[in-house]
Amino acid sequence: MAARIFMKRPLELGKTFRKASTNLSAFEIQHKSPLVKKQQKIPVALYGGRHAVTMLPGSGIGPELMAYVRDVFRYAGAPVDFETININPNTDESDDLIHAITSIKRNGVAIKGNIETKSEDTEVQSRNVAIRNELDLFINVLNCKSYPGVKCRQSNIDIVIIRQNTEGEYAMLEHESVHGVVESMKIVTQSNSERVARWAFEYAKRHGRKKVTIVHKANIMKLSDGLFLETSRRIAKEYPEIEHNDMIIDNCCMQLVSNPHQFDVMIMTNLYGSIVSNVICGLIGGAGLLSGRNYGDHYAVFEPGTRNTGTAIAGKNIANPIAMLNASVDMLEHLGHQQHADMIQQAIVKTICEDNIQTPDLGGHHSSSDVVQRVIDHIVHSDRTW
Amino acid sequence: MAAKLIKILGNCQRSPSTGSRFYSSQVRKCTMIPGDGIGPEISQAVQKIFATAKVPIEWETVDVTPVRGPDGKFGIPQAAIDSVNRNKIGLKGPLMTPVGKGHRSLNLALRKEFNLYANVRPCRSLEGYKTLYDNVDVVTIRENTEGEYSGIEHEIVDGVVQSIKLITEEASMRVAEFAFEYTRENKRKKVTAVHKANIMRMSDGLFLRCCRDVAAKFPDIKFEEKYLDTVCLNMVQDPSQYDVLVMPNLYGDIMSDMCAGLVGGLGLTPSGNIGINGALFESVHGTAPDIAGQDKANPTALLLSAVMMLKHMGLVEQARIIETACYETIKEAKYLTGDLGGKAKCSEFTNEICAKISAH
Repeated sequence: MAARIFMKRPLELGKTFRKASTNLSAFEIQHKSPLVKKQQKIPVALYGGRHAVTMLPGSGIGPELMAYVRDVFRYAGAPVDFETININPNTDESDDLIHAITSIKRNGVAIKGNIETKSEDTEVQSRNVAIRNELDLFINVLNCKSYPGVKCRQSNIDIVIIRQNTEGEYAMLEHESVHGVVESMKIVTQSNSERVARWAFEYAKRHGRKKVTIVHKANIMKLSDGLFLETSRRIAKEYPEIEHNDMIIDNCCMQLVSNPHQFDVMIMTNLYGSIVSNVICGLIGGAGLLSGRNYGDHYAVFEPGTRNTGTAIAGKNIANPIAMLNASVDMLEHLGHQQHADMIQQAIVKTICEDNIQTPDLGGHHSSSDVVQRVIDHIVHSDRTW
Repeated sequence: MAAKLIKILGNCQRSPSTGSRFYSSQVRKCTMIPGDGIGPEISQAVQKIFATAKVPIEWETVDVTPVRGPDGKFGIPQAAIDSVNRNKIGLKGPLMTPVGKGHRSLNLALRKEFNLYANVRPCRSLEGYKTLYDNVDVVTIRENTEGEYSGIEHEIVDGVVQSIKLITEEASMRVAEFAFEYTRENKRKKVTAVHKANIMRMSDGLFLRCCRDVAAKFPDIKFEEKYLDTVCLNMVQDPSQYDVLVMPNLYGDIMSDMCAGLVGGLGLTPSGNIGINGALFESVHGTAPDIAGQDKANPTALLLSAVMMLKHMGLVEQARIIETACYETIKEAKYLTGDLGGKAKCSEFTNEICAKISAH
């Protein structure tokens, strides 16, 4: 991945490195040189006391869920203004995509649904992948905590999945060398693996987590996953108070379905992250509950945890809005509005666990608007000082 | 003379990819690789059960400990290779891959030697062994030769490693055809192709196209394509919605192990590897050196793999008798080995199954 960027813009890269040694303004660091590490905290777009956040509804159930987020924010009085950008899934043109990326660069924070790329043409890159790569959102965090009121096979799960988000199997570098033979490249770099491992251990330390498990397949993919594993082990030595072990992905999946309580924090590359996050979401009760956070050095994007478009249930008012509402709560926490975030979070927990207002995918029989209405009722009746 | 010629010609006829049909009176020779650790005792258990059921099989036991060949490289002994090439059917116990340089993974060597291109793993919930999932009946068919496990890796620049995933039309067509044939022969209803073609458009796209082409030739079997994450999500919530899954190497590895976990672990799951000119059935659990030789091992995995072997060979009736006896023994839960939560010995478990077969 790094090699590809190096080849594509060698001159610009040289200029950037030279500039980095001189004094770059905060604006230039934020917008013109994503590869240079951020030196200071860049303020997010704050106009007149209200934050501006980019909203990408995506396709399928995205637009209706985003409407619910707006409603909830209105009742909660959250000082957030949304800049909505719709990306047309049918065209191959990337104008909408460029507009969206520029907007996220300007605002610093975004909330998105799953963006569909209808084209099956091999030249067109998946739009979700394009956003992640352009903005260098190298970490995806999924905080998987069981909801006590939800019917599921395993209870009391509390696992954090930290997944490398930009390279690995999702590098989208494929070619057909001979007719009928296709090669797809999986890229693993030292710098990215180190960043992920360090971020993960810092996260574990900051949140008081005891154990980190590295998930890999280094017995077969000795060089690539081997590099990831070695780097993580090396970083682990700097955090002796945190226990760490590693596990092969197939054994890990087997253990997850029988005994998921042995895991605490898990680090892995892109594809394994997709598999493990979906398995754990299934164990907790479904794709509609958890939210994922994508972090880069400069930008943060929040989305539902399992990146499903949900085209089959779009427009039927049965989609589970909790995942998107959880994503909006994460976003408020990131922006620093802890009180608003806590209030919405408590309303969600009360609705799901105590009142048992659940959508069909969780085994209930209420519609999404019922769930959202109950959340809004709880918000309106909560004590607040603003 | 003419009769003999016709008999030989009849023997040469093979049904497409799932093995040859033999006259039931003829005794087949099968290669048996006992393996290490608990391998020998569970192999003996299987042989005893087969003898009780009067299965027309003659076992030829070989040892696959690697020896130094004339070129200095370690490899499987020639006697073992000849045996499997001759018999075309093998049953393998757990092998211990020695750690150290000079030894390639034995499993990989066997796979390359016999061109085993499809790995079949049927996962069925066992009544009598309670897990959180009791309605699992899934078969995972995985492409076994290429994909992510091609082993082509290099370090392009210092600190940047690339690993190549190879997908070829030939291998994908082969495994797709096998999957549909298997579905038809075992009277299953639906084949699901598992892929990630939204991200890996060319490679998984090619695999998917091959599956679609083959599906068109089998209009009586339902075909659907699902993303890998959707399958993982749904499998953990409701495994009954999937029937036969066909997928490339890496996804197959992970999904087959996950399905094994749903039914109770690798100690209970059979597995078969189908090749171009032969088939090798094996148990996928470890060698369990801590309980080796103590008559505590559970022969269920190897037994169910042997049953798969019988079905592959066309000896369906005997396969059914042995399989039913095994399931009933586990359901009654009077003689269960340690890993299933009981206290019986391996020999007691085996004797109980033999008793049920004789009573049939």
